[in-house]
Amino acid sequence: MKRSLVCSTLLLIAAGTAFVAGQRAQTPKLDVDPLWPKPFPVAKHWILGSITGVAVDAQDRVWVVHRGVDSLQNNEKGPTLEPWASSCCYAAPQVLAFDAAGALVANWDPKSGSGYDWPRDVSGVAVDGTGNVWIGSGLAPSAMPAGRGRGAPAEGAAGRGRGGAAAPAGPADAQVLKFDKNGKFLLAIGKPGQTDSSGQSNLSRPLAVAIDDAANEVYIGDEGHNRVAVFDAASGAFKRDFKANGDPFKTVSCVKLSKDGMVYVCDRQNDRIQVFQKDGKFVKEAFVSKSTAGDGSVWDVAFSPDQRLLYVADGHDKKVWILDRTSLETIGSFGQGGRYPGEFYGVGSVAVDSKGNVYTGETYEGKRVQKFVRR
Amino acid sequence: MKRNVAIGTFLASLLVALGIGQGILERRAEALQNGGGKVQVPRFEVDPTFPKPLPNHWYQGMSIGVGVDANDHIWIVHRPDSVNPIEAAADAKTGECCAKAPPILEFDQQGTLLRHWGGSDGDGYQWPSSNHGVTIDHKGNVWVGGNGGGDGLVLKFTQDGKFLMQVGKKGVPVDSNSTEHFGQVAKIFVDKKENEAYIADGYGNKRVAVIDADTGKFKRYWGAYGNKPDDTNLGRYDPEAPPAQQFRTPVHCAEMSNDRLVYVCDRVNDRIQVFTPEGKFVKEAWVSRKTLGDGSTWDIAFSNDPQQKFIYLADGHDEKVWILDRQSLEILTSFGDGGKMPGQFYAVHSIATDSKGNIYTTETYDGRRLQRFLYKGMQTVTKGEDQGTVWPRTATK
Repeated sequence: MKRSLVCSTLLLIAAGTAFVAGQRAQTPKLDVDPLWPKPFPVAKHWILGSITGVAVDAQDRVWVVHRGVDSLQNNEKGPTLEPWASSCCYAAPQVLAFDAAGALVANWDPKSGSGYDWPRDVSGVAVDGTGNVWIGSGLAPSAMPAGRGRGAPAEGAAGRGRGGAAAPAGPADAQVLKFDKNGKFLLAIGKPGQTDSSGQSNLSRPLAVAIDDAANEVYIGDEGHNRVAVFDAASGAFKRDFKANGDPFKTVSCVKLSKDGMVYVCDRQNDRIQVFQKDGKFVKEAFVSKSTAGDGSVWDVAFSPDQRLLYVADGHDKKVWILDRTSLETIGSFGQGGRYPGEFYGVGSVAVDSKGNVYTGETYEGKRVQKFVRR
Repeated sequence: MKRNVAIGTFLASLLVALGIGQGILERRAEALQNGGGKVQVPRFEVDPTFPKPLPNHWYQGMSIGVGVDANDHIWIVHRPDSVNPIEAAADAKTGECCAKAPPILEFDQQGTLLRHWGGSDGDGYQWPSSNHGVTIDHKGNVWVGGNGGGDGLVLKFTQDGKFLMQVGKKGVPVDSNSTEHFGQVAKIFVDKKENEAYIADGYGNKRVAVIDADTGKFKRYWGAYGNKPDDTNLGRYDPEAPPAQQFRTPVHCAEMSNDRLVYVCDRVNDRIQVFTPEGKFVKEAWVSRKTLGDGSTWDIAFSNDPQQKFIYLADGHDEKVWILDRQSLEILTSFGDGGKMPGQFYAVHSIATDSKGNIYTTETYDGRRLQRFLYKGMQTVTKGEDQGTVWPRTATK
């Protein structure tokens, strides 16, 4: 794997692309930009928690949600401790948007809003055609110990400074929230604690959201109920749902809509992608890194601008797989495990902008958003 | 051979060119510092391309030591056992990435991994249960301590990992007055002139211990202010309380300057204490004195000019590197901030400099990185300025 300086104004590093060009369609060349996004203003001492959602809007702005202060270790939140313990750091607002150059262009802290129940654990973000921001909730099941940071297990002296706080009290996450781009609350689907599956419109850990602008519908990955549920995007009324083909879904961690009207569902701990029509009719499936155990391989997917490729974020194998979208064959990958630029730990979110640049978000103790520039 | 191309050359050429005495120059610098609140400090930029990715799907754990050898190769020590089952999915056979890397790793100036070894007992020696600190001495040998429970030893190896010496042993109790073993050693410094090793001792003991670097024979030891060390539990650090008369564990560094003063990191007490080689107390200073928990004074390195005008101090709780004037121990500026991007820190633990004046840091906990900060000459800053994340200037325009 090579890393080299490529450009004079931007420092770009060649991503560790394991793929060797073969007879199939060429995979794109992607270079990590180690200096994206830009640091927050120093006086704020903001820090990112575990990233649980990345989405690109129509203006190529990159929206990010993270789990905030609850996912920070003590040494990451010194000034918020009682008593004050150090100057670093405060959780950045939980909803952020960056432009393609990495400048922070929007941020709001929904915890301070009223009229809705902000989730204990935010998960998944999507932006619809009018720029509204949809946010899911819930903590995905994991092979990891149940620490808030989902980091390494505390071990002996090494546990100092880790300080995984207890989960905040409160009803279970079961809601999807819709805001306008400035953070004004618009709509809630589902209510915290109301997870009873006998009610069609009840949700349980709705980890992922996708919007069909033409039909004005929202697709929700309802992880706790092992289904995809579809609601009216304006009224929030339940419309229909569908479940897996064959073995039930184990961890519905993404739902994405292709331009040709297909619904892609990540079934994370089954290492598979299932593809449906919008009416729920099963079309096809594929497994990715099928021997992966633990947290599974298929965490999130995103399409290339021409829709020919499918990028699959694999937080367990610490890479992004590249699939031919038609055949669902794995044709390449980039990234490897580690904390350096272009490497991953817990990469669970992926999104692509109109130019084919790929953005990733890392949960657990990864706590980064990275940009891979399409060459 | 060390080439002091940084500040030393800069000063020397100035002196020659201007034909003025060093005293005048220093007084001018002081006047500049006092008037207008401006100070001259070294400027650094993070090198986001360093080091190169590890081979073999190796994964780096909590990185708790860094040293630079005479060839400007960078040695780190990390904790393979801190790598969790998802990070080490290949070892756990649940995925293809990754496997635990050996604890001792050597990198060249390009960031390429060279030698790698360590992690288990060998013929005639015990590997610490939690290795900690790595130092390359003037003979090129590699010293390692350990801060696991009962780790009462230091080890010396060749650069190829051939065992040379063990002093102390595992499975011993805390005893700051032992002359046979240590108490969870954080770091080692070797004094070329007297061939003595200074042991920052440690996470259990509350002292600096000095041994013969070849025979391992105990020579002397001391506690805070040069007092006889005392293992009484001091309780939690209280910034408002009178200064503790003993070190609070961990005693995290003991570094000797060219003018033969020993600087000791009393980490949780947020202070640096300075001693003669015999252990006579000289002076002390606090850094971010209100910092609680893990404390602020984690490790230090000196600037590479002959006068060692600056101290670079790693603060893994405030997540920055402080730059101090070595003589006055005053804080001049700082760089870094919390985060996972290049130039940011999480639990920056260890620090070292190379012959070019570049800084290397390693991060423990969930930081788990080695980073390089390139020396970019001197700059003027407002005294105390928080520089934040120092990125390459070409990239931030």
